Amino acid sequence: MSSSLRTARAARAALFVVGTALLTRRALRRRIGASPLWPLPALEEPVSGQPRSRALRLRVARHEHVAEGVVQLRLESGQSGALPAWEPGAHLDLVLPSGLVRQYSLCGDPEDSSSYTVATRLIGADEGGRGGSREVHEVLREGVEVEVRGPRNRFPLLDGAASYVFVAGGIGITPLLAMVRAVEAAGGDWRLLYCGRSRASMPFLEELEKLGGAGERVLVVAEDECGLPDVRGFLGGGGAGAVYVCGPEGLMDAVAGALPAGASLHLERFAPAAAAGGESAFEVELRRSGRTVTVGADTTVLAAVRAELPDTPYSCEQGFCGTCQHRVLEGEIDHRDELLTDGERGDSMLICVSRARGTRLVLDA
Amino acid sequence: MSNTKARPPQPVASEHIALKARNVSFSWESTPLHWLPGDPFTTHTINVLHLLLPAGERWFVHVYKQVLPHIRDERLREDVIGFIGQEAMHSQAHDEVLPHLREQGLDPTPYTAQVDWLFEKLLGDRTLPPGKARHWWLLERVAMIAAIEHYTAFLGDWVLNAEELDRRGADPTMLDLLRWHGAEEVEHRSVAFDLFMHVDGSYRRRARTWATAFTALVFLWQRGARFFMENDPTLTDGKASFRDFHRSGRAGTLPTTGDMIRSIPRYLSRGYHPSQEGSTAQAVAYLASSPAATAAEARTNGAV
Repeated sequence: MSSSLRTARAARAALFVVGTALLTRRALRRRIGASPLWPLPALEEPVSGQPRSRALRLRVARHEHVAEGVVQLRLESGQSGALPAWEPGAHLDLVLPSGLVRQYSLCGDPEDSSSYTVATRLIGADEGGRGGSREVHEVLREGVEVEVRGPRNRFPLLDGAASYVFVAGGIGITPLLAMVRAVEAAGGDWRLLYCGRSRASMPFLEELEKLGGAGERVLVVAEDECGLPDVRGFLGGGGAGAVYVCGPEGLMDAVAGALPAGASLHLERFAPAAAAGGESAFEVELRRSGRTVTVGADTTVLAAVRAELPDTPYSCEQGFCGTCQHRVLEGEIDHRDELLTDGERGDSMLICVSRARGTRLVLDA
Repeated sequence: MSNTKARPPQPVASEHIALKARNVSFSWESTPLHWLPGDPFTTHTINVLHLLLPAGERWFVHVYKQVLPHIRDERLREDVIGFIGQEAMHSQAHDEVLPHLREQGLDPTPYTAQVDWLFEKLLGDRTLPPGKARHWWLLERVAMIAAIEHYTAFLGDWVLNAEELDRRGADPTMLDLLRWHGAEEVEHRSVAFDLFMHVDGSYRRRARTWATAFTALVFLWQRGARFFMENDPTLTDGKASFRDFHRSGRAGTLPTTGDMIRSIPRYLSRGYHPSQEGSTAQAVAYLASSPAATAAEARTNGAV
């Protein structure tokens, strides 16, 4: 074989190798361009990148007294982008400069994507206040930055009710205000019973009375003028529909007791029941293990469950890490955590902090 | 073949500390896309953490929940419980960065959906049938986590000392996220290894899972940096190469290649114990001054 023939053959082989390498590289690049971790497939329903909530830093743009002891804050973002949308009934978590976290219903216009509006009543230490509302009143002056999380909605306004009845006690008007406006704008049938200690202490009275017009849609009952409201009489004045209540426990109990047949009841509590009085004991059935434990007033579901099932996972014991999330099969849950989404709250709970609303829960444990 | 009888690795006693999750919260509106000014390569190389950690640390928690019944040592159990909560918070905190990247025109979903598949499916519970194989698979994953934690502690120690990032004006919120996370990684760096030694401790498994974890990390990291550089809307021809990595290492904005290489034989040494690396005192000192950790502390005290 001549040397020139050998050289030509070697050159051809080299060309082939280089060509294959280039083609392979191009094919790889194309695949990786379309699928960054090629050859791994993607999970059909991605989990990452959809956090439960996000923190926003907002600036107090306006701080004004809208009634005796009630301050309304307008919170704006320093950035140009729109704030996350919300619907009537939603609330924000305010992370106050001291670290206290407090929930306040949004009472502004949902169409306004440049700011959020909340209103808070000052609750003194003699009324069981723990400093959150005082901080809002005294520290969150105009120009101060505050971190918020949310908005989230645990008190949604359902479409399509034949009629809406709203019952507000004092500052409990905040989530209902946005609801009244929405139902009125949609041309719905609504009535409002608004109770408070005195007219001066009740925010948004003027606007609500204007919305109510000349008819009897808005009934204002100020305790110092007319005593306690006749809840039964007010509820009895209309047909079955959706009843939305936000106010003190006593008012919510009164509404629940006087609910007309066929009406649906929607409650928003100011704070966990614990703030109002002591805890109560209840039973927890652990369905899979076939056992039942009693959760005493001074203990947690987690502690009671761990006594039976010592390997139950948990960690922070304060309702933020999510490790102890358990599926709930039966029973009404009193959620006390800051973590779970409304969807998750439907059928699960963080057993380190949350409790039963009634006397019994059934866990998938 | 187990080496536990021959010479069990000794922890440095002074480095043990009670672990607790911190309820941190970061807001990202004011963090720029290139949070290390003028250095997209370093920014994105570190950003790969946000791609891997939400799914990865969720997986740690998932695996560790299953290993709890196998722990026979109360102090280790407490450590593991503290570790789980810290990892859950790391996962949540990094997950909140992802929508911010998306809003700045860099959608991470194509990559994170594949990382999700890796941790949820390939490394999930159903990779092997129940019974003995399932138990072997649990031990294998516990060992992988110990190997990965060698690197998270390495990175945590690095970021706590990476003063070059401060000098170059890195975004303070991002730096606090990285250092809070890094400090907790240093704080709990012994837990995964202690757990592995407690439930198994086989040297062969340790070496094998190190090889798997190391290869996977190199693969994921180089693809992640490349993904970000190629899809960054502000770069016309973004590329990531090993040469860039080496250069950033020399500049002090990433770990050096030499340090990375030297960390390999340390993990594979039979006398290795994580407490020999990094400084708990430095981690604790950072956590005492970290804006996010101190706010979390206030929140915890305020909530009681």
